[in-house]
Amino acid sequence: MKTSRWMEVVNLCLLFCFLGGGLAYGAEMLLRGFGAISTVQAFKEFGVVVSPHWQAYAEDFISFVNGVGRLYLPVIVGVPLVFLIHFVAVGPKGFEHKGRRISFYGLFTRFLHWMCAIFFSLVVVSGIMVLFAKALGGGSLVLSARGVHLFCAYGFMVFAAPLFLIWLKDMFPAPYDIKWLLCGGGYLSKKKVEVPAGKFNLGQKMWFWLAFVGGAVMFYTGYVVSGLSLPQAQIAGYIKIHLILGLFLVALFITHLYMSLFAVKGSLKSMISGYKWEEEVRVLHSRMLK
Amino acid sequence: MARMKFLCDIERCIDCKGCVIACKEGNGVPVGINRRRVITINQGKPGERSISIACMHCSDAPCIAVCPVSALYQRDDGIVLVNKDVCIGCGYCFIACPFGVPQFPKGDTFGKRGVMDKCTFCAGGPAPNFSEKERRLYGQNRIAEGKVPLCAAMCSTKALLAGDGDKIARIFQERVARRGTGAKAPGWSTAYK
Repeated sequence: MKTSRWMEVVNLCLLFCFLGGGLAYGAEMLLRGFGAISTVQAFKEFGVVVSPHWQAYAEDFISFVNGVGRLYLPVIVGVPLVFLIHFVAVGPKGFEHKGRRISFYGLFTRFLHWMCAIFFSLVVVSGIMVLFAKALGGGSLVLSARGVHLFCAYGFMVFAAPLFLIWLKDMFPAPYDIKWLLCGGGYLSKKKVEVPAGKFNLGQKMWFWLAFVGGAVMFYTGYVVSGLSLPQAQIAGYIKIHLILGLFLVALFITHLYMSLFAVKGSLKSMISGYKWEEEVRVLHSRMLK
Repeated sequence: MARMKFLCDIERCIDCKGCVIACKEGNGVPVGINRRRVITINQGKPGERSISIACMHCSDAPCIAVCPVSALYQRDDGIVLVNKDVCIGCGYCFIACPFGVPQFPKGDTFGKRGVMDKCTFCAGGPAPNFSEKERRLYGQNRIAEGKVPLCAAMCSTKALLAGDGDKIARIFQERVARRGTGAKAPGWSTAYK
C-alpha cells in the first residue's frame, strides 16, 4: 500500500516535469518562430534597402567615368585640326559684297541667336573645364565653372525655346539635302558652284536639331544629375547620356565656330546685320532665289 | 598595418540613433548632412533589426576610383578621406558608393551642390592635425588623440565596433560564439537548413 502511494507521487512528479518542460519548450519555439531571422538573412535585407542595384551598374559606371575624358580629347584637338587642314588646303569662301542685300534674320531672331550663342559657349567651356578638372587642380575654380555651367544652361533654355519655334519651319529635311551632302556643301573647293540648299543647308539643319533638341536633352539630364534625387542606377544612366551627347555637341559647336568665323567670309557680319549679299545666297542657298 | 573598419552587430543595435547624434554634434555636421544613419528592417514586426551605416572605408574604394580630381584618398591605415579644397562636388562618388554615403550640401543658386562630406572615422582631414581649418571642414580628429570614433564610443549597447579590422572581427566572433551556434542560434533554421 505504502509503495503504491509512493509510486503515485513519483508518477505525478514525472508527469508535471514532462508537461512543464514541454510547455516551456513549446513557448520558446513559438517565440523563436516569431522573432527569428538569421544575421545572414538580415544583411541580405539591408542590402536591398541600402543599394539594391549597385552590382548591376557600378562596375560599368566606374569604367565609363574613367574612360570618357579620353573620348573628349580627340574631339577637342582633332576637329579643330581637321578644320585647320581645310583652311590651309582649301581656304575660306569669299563673296562679293555688292549688289542686292537679302534679308535673312530679323532683329528679334538675331537677339535670340546671340543670347543663345553666349550661354551655349559658356556651357561648353565650363563643361570642358569640369571634364578636365584634374588638369585645372579642381577646387574653387572648377566649382565656379560648375556654377556657370548650371546658370548658363538655364539661360540657354530661356532663349532657345522661342528661337527653336522661329526657325523650325525651315529646318525640316528636304530632298535636295542629299545632293548638298554628296557635294560636301560646296566647301571642298573654292569654286563658286551653286549648291542645293534653301534658307538653311543640311549642315545648319543638323546643327539646329542637335543644338536645340540635344540641348534640351542635355538640360534635362544635367538637371537630374545636379539634383541627385533619383536612384543611383538611374543617375548613372543620365550621366552617360549627358557625356556622350555632349561629345557630339562639342564637335558640332567647333564646326559651327569654324564655319561662321573662318570658312565663309562675312557670315559673322550677316548674323550681326541680318543681311546676306546676293552672290553668297545664289551660291550657298540657291533654292531661295528659285 | 592595422586597417580601420566599422562593424555593426545587428543583434545588439537598438535603433537609438545615439551614433547619429554623437557624430552630428561632435563634428559640427550641418543640418541636411548625415554622415551616419540607422536603417531598420521589419520595423514593428517579428525579425526587426537595425544597422548603423556610415562610410565603410572600403579596402578598394569605388569612390576613389571615380573621383575625377583625386580629392578622395586612402590613408595607410585604410581610412578614406576627402580633400574639400580639391573636391568639385560632381557627385560621381555618390553614384559609385555601394552604401550611398557621400553627402552634398544643397541650397546654392540653381541647385548647385557644395563639396562632398562624409564620415572621416573621426580622423580629421588633410588639414594640419587639430587646426581650426581641420575642425571646421572635417570635424574632430580623435584618431590622432588615440580614441575611437565618436559614434562607436557613444554606442550604448556597443553594437557599433570601430578599430583594427582584425580585432573587431575577433570581438564579433567571440560574441557570436557566446550567443550560441547551431539549433540554439537565432535564425538557425533560416540560414543553415
